[in-house]
Amino acid sequence: MSELDRRTFLTRSAVLLGAGGVGGAGAIVRAATKTEAAAAVPTEPSAAQEWSVSQAQLAQREPFDGPHQAGILTPAPAQATFAALDSLAPDRKTLEEALRALSLRARELTDGTPTPLLEVDDPPADSGILGPLNDPDVLTVTIAFGASLFDQRYGLASQRPRELIEMPTFSVDDLDPAQSHGDLLLQICAHQRDTVVHTLRELLRTVRGSLQLRWNIDGFSGAARGPSPHNSPRNLFAFRDGTANPPTSDAALMNKLVWVADGEPAWATGGTYQVARIIRQHVEFWDRVGLNEQENMIGRVRTSGAPLGGTTEFEEPRYDIDPHGKRIPLDAHIRLANPRTPATEDQRILRRGFNYTRGFDAAGQLDQGLMFVAFNQSPERQFATIQQRLSAEPMIDYITPVGGGYFFAPPGARDESDWVGSGLFAAA
Amino acid sequence: MLRSITSRWTTTAAAAVCVALAAFLAVTALGVGRHHTRPTASAPYTLTPFATYEARAPHVLSSTVINSAQGAVQGAAATPPSVLPPLQASAFNGPTAQYRAYAVRQLGLMESQVRRLQNALAANDRTGAQEAWRAAYARYLRLGAVYLVGPLSTLNQAIDGNAGSLPGGTASPQFTGLHRIEYGLWTSAQPHTLLSQARLLNLNVHRLRGVVGKISIEPLEYATRAHEILEDAARDLLSGADVPWSEEGVLATNAGLQATEEVMATLRPLLTGRENTIPIVKTELATLRSVIASLAAAHGGSLPSNTQLTQAQAELLDGTLGGALEALSQVPGSLETELPPQIPQIPRRDVRIEP
Repeated sequence: MSELDRRTFLTRSAVLLGAGGVGGAGAIVRAATKTEAAAAVPTEPSAAQEWSVSQAQLAQREPFDGPHQAGILTPAPAQATFAALDSLAPDRKTLEEALRALSLRARELTDGTPTPLLEVDDPPADSGILGPLNDPDVLTVTIAFGASLFDQRYGLASQRPRELIEMPTFSVDDLDPAQSHGDLLLQICAHQRDTVVHTLRELLRTVRGSLQLRWNIDGFSGAARGPSPHNSPRNLFAFRDGTANPPTSDAALMNKLVWVADGEPAWATGGTYQVARIIRQHVEFWDRVGLNEQENMIGRVRTSGAPLGGTTEFEEPRYDIDPHGKRIPLDAHIRLANPRTPATEDQRILRRGFNYTRGFDAAGQLDQGLMFVAFNQSPERQFATIQQRLSAEPMIDYITPVGGGYFFAPPGARDESDWVGSGLFAAA
Repeated sequence: MLRSITSRWTTTAAAAVCVALAAFLAVTALGVGRHHTRPTASAPYTLTPFATYEARAPHVLSSTVINSAQGAVQGAAATPPSVLPPLQASAFNGPTAQYRAYAVRQLGLMESQVRRLQNALAANDRTGAQEAWRAAYARYLRLGAVYLVGPLSTLNQAIDGNAGSLPGGTASPQFTGLHRIEYGLWTSAQPHTLLSQARLLNLNVHRLRGVVGKISIEPLEYATRAHEILEDAARDLLSGADVPWSEEGVLATNAGLQATEEVMATLRPLLTGRENTIPIVKTELATLRSVIASLAAAHGGSLPSNTQLTQAQAELLDGTLGGALEALSQVPGSLETELPPQIPQIPRRDVRIEP
């Protein structure tokens, strides 16, 4: 057990014992019993080892503050929720206070602080669903603004990021207004589902009366199932997703593709455009399509993720020596999305999507799909250009974009005294 | 409906599995399997489903069947190739010609239904107009297997386009046709204000009738439509997505069923003797037809809207439609006109592996 894990564990035990000695002691006794039982089977990880792993993961922290917000270059964890909010604030001051409070509470939750206790006759200050300590669990809260926040209500119009518009309706779309757009988008990601659920609940409580839910959708990542730790997870069409993402470790490349450049309002420096689209995938229909056709629509081998004609996921598809689409059809998804030519180099986007599943529709069909997320420097040059190319791809029969929006994720907060969006309000 | 779909050459895994299994069993019986002789697949064969599901779910294959077939064909984890001998593309000339003639007849009938709609609108008769709209809409869906692509996709959009894909939605001036009128008739618009839309619809239907008899229908597109007409019903109609105001998804599904039956009737000569597709599809479509009839009977003789279905009725219809679709999804694989081409390998010397 590492020092950090041990500390977390002890803190937790102490709090538990303090709060109710019997329950706390019981928990420790149960853990010890599991350890003994597991010791009899040495090839399996022991209960103690498993406990240690989960504790180590829960203790991982992703800082809220920095030149860029967290949750953009951060590797996507297993769980997410996206909540679009509309502002009810009657004036700019109220909105500003709500946003300040939002950052303050988001920072506390990402840091992982003990839940504060008030007097026993007051409602608790935290719902408490994670227990007495809110473990950080790699939690990120990414706050982004929609175009409608820059309308006449709050006097922010002059500082609107240059390309921040209401998401256009693309030809493949069937947008439901109730699941589209919004003044704000909260992207909440963590390893554990309960961390995400707790964070949304706490943040909504923080801004109650000023910011109200417009739409919400939960996402999850496919598990890393190999064969190597580098292989991309799968989407709900069973194909690997994210293979051609630009490497986030390349800071110069991120400056070209993700972070906004000159020509934007000064406060926006360090920010990025976030395109969020709820793309329904008609999975029953997809499952009735022959494997050859599936692979030709995507341009990759379903099992390995290799480009057609290749053997490994990260192999170059070599369109340069396949100009007629003999190997990878000219209208295959990967070929239209990223033609890999010098002219399309600066159109690449950083995708950070999550699968979703949310019951079934009125026709008994599973409501599943992709919460598509792309971060890009210029939606016009990047996302929208790609989307236009994809408007004629054969895959469009199997998907329906039903919602989402264009948002702008401002730079991160400098430190504990700062908040996300402060630059905008100082400038406007 | 009537969306463009990529031309396809599909292998039906189930078919290949069964061929391979038959070969595997034959080889095993002869005792040659022990000598690692690879069997050569040969026709004929039958599907081998889980025994207890055979009547309703012939597409459900046991993992024992799949594993043994894959093992027999190419070794573990390999996907069996299609082995059904391809059909001549010209074999589709007859069926598609029949379907084109049928489509022209449907549009002729639709024109008179749109005229009835115009009369009801002129009289500001909402009930009469809704009734005429239902008839015209169901008639248009009978075209199911006609691909309206290229310049004709604009005409299709004008007749049957949805608001969701248009900037401005229902307020868009490009929002015209059946669904524009549906929007007016099932919301608060005065029926007579929709008359100009009905005139435009009539004009567009007439235009389409003039060209639909000459359009080309690719063999594989046609084979694919055997299951895609009803895929539209499951995806867009019973969910209400394409009929958000009238919720006439059951009516639309029934029209899709009729179009599918028309397609299957024209394909019967081609499908005969190829896999076990005809009897399976026939059983499933008959079940769907009787379920839809039972729904009409339960609702006073006319087809209920999506929202009038009880939960039990909705489950029955959705589930039966799903079963029919699983059966129909075997049709394209049974009607291949060419073997899937071998995909050339990416040259090894140029392979660049990224981290």
